[in-house]
Amino acid sequence: MPSLLSSAFSLRRDPRILKIPPYLSLVCIVVGVVWLFLLPLDDYSRRTYISENALLPGQVHTYFGGSDQNVFRAYKNEVVASDIAEANNTEVNDKLEGILKGVGLKTGRQSFKYESRSWGDEYEGENLYAILQAPRGDATEAIVLVAPFRTVDGKLNANGVALALTLSRYFKRWSLWSKDIIILLPPDSLAGPQAWVDAYHDAHNPSTVSSLPLKSGALQGAIALDYTHEGRFEAVHIVYDGVNGQLPNLDLINAVSNIAGGQMGMGTALQHMYRHKNNYSDRLQTMLRGMLNQALGRATGAHSCFIPYHVDAITLQPFSANPGSGWHDEMALGRLVEGSFRSLNNLLEHLHQSFFFYLLMHRDRFVSIGTYLPSAMVLAANFTIMAIFMWVKSGQPQPGTKTTEEETTEGDGDKKKPAAHAVERELFLPLGLVTAVQFLGVVPLFLFNHAPASTLSPLFILITLLSPLLPIGINFALPSLSQTGRLTPQHYQLFHSFSLLLLGMFLSTLATLNFSLAFVVGIFSAPLTFVRPVQNVAVKLLSAVVLNALAPTTVILAASFYVGMDISDVLREAAFGWEVWGMYTSVIVWCVWWPAWIIGATVLLGNQSIAKEKTL
Amino acid sequence: MNSQKHRFGQSAGIFLAAAVWRLALFTLFPDLPDLLTGRVEISTPVSSFKRLQEGLFLYNHNVSPYDGGVFHQAPLFLPLFSLLPSSQSYPIFTYLLYIAVDLLSADALIKIADSGEPGGAKLFKSPRREKRWSGRTVATVFLFNPLTIATCIGRPTSVFTTCAILHAIASAVSAKPFNAVVALSFASYLSMYPILLLPPLLLLCYDRQPGGKQTPGLQFAMKHAGIAVACLGFLFATSFLITGQSWEFFASTYGVQLTLSDLTPNVGLWWYFFIEMFDSFRSFFLAVFWLHLSAYVGGLTVRIRTQPLVVLTVLLGTFAIFKPYPSIADASLFLAMIPLFRHIFPLMRYSFLTGSTILYSSFLGPAFYHLWIYAGSGNANFFYAITLVWSLGLSLLVSDLTFAVLRDEWEVERPEMVGKDIRQI
Repeated sequence: MPSLLSSAFSLRRDPRILKIPPYLSLVCIVVGVVWLFLLPLDDYSRRTYISENALLPGQVHTYFGGSDQNVFRAYKNEVVASDIAEANNTEVNDKLEGILKGVGLKTGRQSFKYESRSWGDEYEGENLYAILQAPRGDATEAIVLVAPFRTVDGKLNANGVALALTLSRYFKRWSLWSKDIIILLPPDSLAGPQAWVDAYHDAHNPSTVSSLPLKSGALQGAIALDYTHEGRFEAVHIVYDGVNGQLPNLDLINAVSNIAGGQMGMGTALQHMYRHKNNYSDRLQTMLRGMLNQALGRATGAHSCFIPYHVDAITLQPFSANPGSGWHDEMALGRLVEGSFRSLNNLLEHLHQSFFFYLLMHRDRFVSIGTYLPSAMVLAANFTIMAIFMWVKSGQPQPGTKTTEEETTEGDGDKKKPAAHAVERELFLPLGLVTAVQFLGVVPLFLFNHAPASTLSPLFILITLLSPLLPIGINFALPSLSQTGRLTPQHYQLFHSFSLLLLGMFLSTLATLNFSLAFVVGIFSAPLTFVRPVQNVAVKLLSAVVLNALAPTTVILAASFYVGMDISDVLREAAFGWEVWGMYTSVIVWCVWWPAWIIGATVLLGNQSIAKEKTL
Repeated sequence: MNSQKHRFGQSAGIFLAAAVWRLALFTLFPDLPDLLTGRVEISTPVSSFKRLQEGLFLYNHNVSPYDGGVFHQAPLFLPLFSLLPSSQSYPIFTYLLYIAVDLLSADALIKIADSGEPGGAKLFKSPRREKRWSGRTVATVFLFNPLTIATCIGRPTSVFTTCAILHAIASAVSAKPFNAVVALSFASYLSMYPILLLPPLLLLCYDRQPGGKQTPGLQFAMKHAGIAVACLGFLFATSFLITGQSWEFFASTYGVQLTLSDLTPNVGLWWYFFIEMFDSFRSFFLAVFWLHLSAYVGGLTVRIRTQPLVVLTVLLGTFAIFKPYPSIADASLFLAMIPLFRHIFPLMRYSFLTGSTILYSSFLGPAFYHLWIYAGSGNANFFYAITLVWSLGLSLLVSDLTFAVLRDEWEVERPEMVGKDIRQI
């Protein structure tokens, strides 16, 4: 054992060992990416299954239909006649409240008003909701049916509202409910449900959102209807992404997809993949779209704001892949909701059996966290490895130079063994710089969340232009702050080391909360691992161009251009998400990614005086 | 006296900056104090500010504060906080009190650092002691440590213990053994565990006596132990009087620490272990855990007899890991002592590893706690795993510091081995 140890120690001194980490880092990045692309294969993904036995999806007869269709038509006429598109929200609610009261439900109304200069418009409205008290329950648990007047795209959801009203009338006739059913009719999909859920859990700000006059028990699940499709439809699109990339329990999606496919003969689609052939490329595309939605962290439907409160929720969206095809009508969708609610009604405890972290690639194929998390972790590990490497390197004496920080107590004879004792590092400047840049990220974050909407895009352009200048400025100003009046390679190694250490730490923490966001930021930051202060002007220029192409600001601009969104809309939505949903994507961009990039660029443009002696 | 004034003038800027920074955090983010007060990493059952409010409410309504089993803190906090205006309506007074306590602790640290004790104890003068940080730097590191700031904003009562311990050490190095023992008695009265610091503290007092009047060791120890007992007796008697002449507070404060009856999660190692434990083994393992905690005192005091300040530091680190209800306040006290030993930093071998471990766990901890409690997608094992990593980081630091100190001594004994690798035989 001692001999083994001493050989391990001598290995540690071997200069060759220091050559490994950059390659190891590269391997980590490659493995991380390749891993992701292997996931859609049959060997790495799994078939979905229902884990919670109590759900018993599709095991009951559903009776919604027949004369209820006439009721649906009547309600739809009412809804269309009340002109929910144009009329005052309160007037519409007066009318719909009458209908719900007529059915025999208790109703409540809640007004909310979100306003901020950063997104221009104010979101003001009134939520209407009704509680069907369970004939066999004690109001300790509830299921929610959400039908917003307008969908996320701003389309009128007349069918959805009418169907929700019809279902409430139909559900009232049954005596088998053991959980309360809440029908929620918010005026829009983004602010209204959020205000309602916040107030339901007493987490609202009373100055903007009023409290709920009426409550039921703990929410066990929620299904939102996004039914703008007119005429018969072919299949149902299940939207499941929550705010900040949180997902509902996989059992809920499986149960609904099982009822739709098994009982109704209705297909289901995910992530707008309406024609899914279940081959590799379609699976990969579904997975990547899911990851992108997760990384953006925005709400994708009225269900999204339920998920942070640990209420499993999805949105159902009927569609026809080919216009005019399909033979399902609104009654079929109603039966799908009925079947799903009957399953949720069976639950003895909160959905917990199945996965909360997964990537879906087809309606019956998924990968769970154990299989996909390593790819993001390996990616984050690459930064940590390089951080350690840079630390070790910074501790080695720089050849051919006289460092001022020599150990005073070491005898001269020991200097010949370079690796035995590290030279002392000047830590103050690197720690200060990295901390300062890290905190500097708060400035754009604050600006974009508080500046008036009209100034957002000029501000963004300004930041985009300033970002590349900042590293140059730092390189210009720093030497005067250093003890010796110049920057040594050790300084740059320490800047790099601390910055990468923080980045690796943030990303591995983030990977446990929002895998996709961590992965995306990790991929775009991967080149930061390999930046070095180069002296060759051509190489430096080329690397600077590449680095600037991968700057957070450039990437955001390019991405918004690619999807055809105006940059000011992107920023407004980010500000809205931050304020209303508590979406932290912008925090990650400005306080994790941007500072790491700034330090990376500083290191690349580094102008170390030592290099003139040709020691690198 | 003049030197003291001089010292204060030098560090006034830092004190002012620290106070302003804390006040800014308190006032600019009005939700922050309540948020941090609720964090399990900061508030433990025996130090939580929220529980103090509960005790205070009962006390002010003439009900025994220990009724209801929520309040587990020393009774003398109650009159102190009753004097302050209510923290709900006038929080600023509470903020100022906590800021003042932090500044007092920093002042004590400056005294310790400037005394020259860290590298130049009476029985051992380190050859490296020239390289040291001034009291100002040490105070800056303490005051701007994010853990200290978070503790100050979260307002646990453990900051009073921290302050008392630091003042005990500061008095000891300034050759005021009486003050030192009284301060330590206060600390022990507030949190019980500091009583374990008495032996090394007495040694420190003994070593720092002015050269002229050397009393025999045993007599010195007996006398000052007597002072400690008397002082504690006085504090207990006062507590007895203010809690309606009942000894109930013993069971509710020290009893809770001894029997771990409140199993709220914290950054320590005890809660999870005792949740899992079968009841029949509970008392046995309680004894083992406490024995383990106190066993370090004797061993370290004897082994590093020459440098009592090192013993105190290492013990504080050990307590931050192994005491029943540790929080980041204890870690911040330990981290405050580390910069005193600047001279042996070159001998520490795992500083980067330790730093990264503590950094990683302090970010992953809240994330995993969120997954467990709020998101519901994780479970208790997530958080416990991270508290293990946190403790690992701290214990690496403790052992690395001990290694560096011992190596420093060893190189004096064996000058021929300076700079050579040690080998396990």
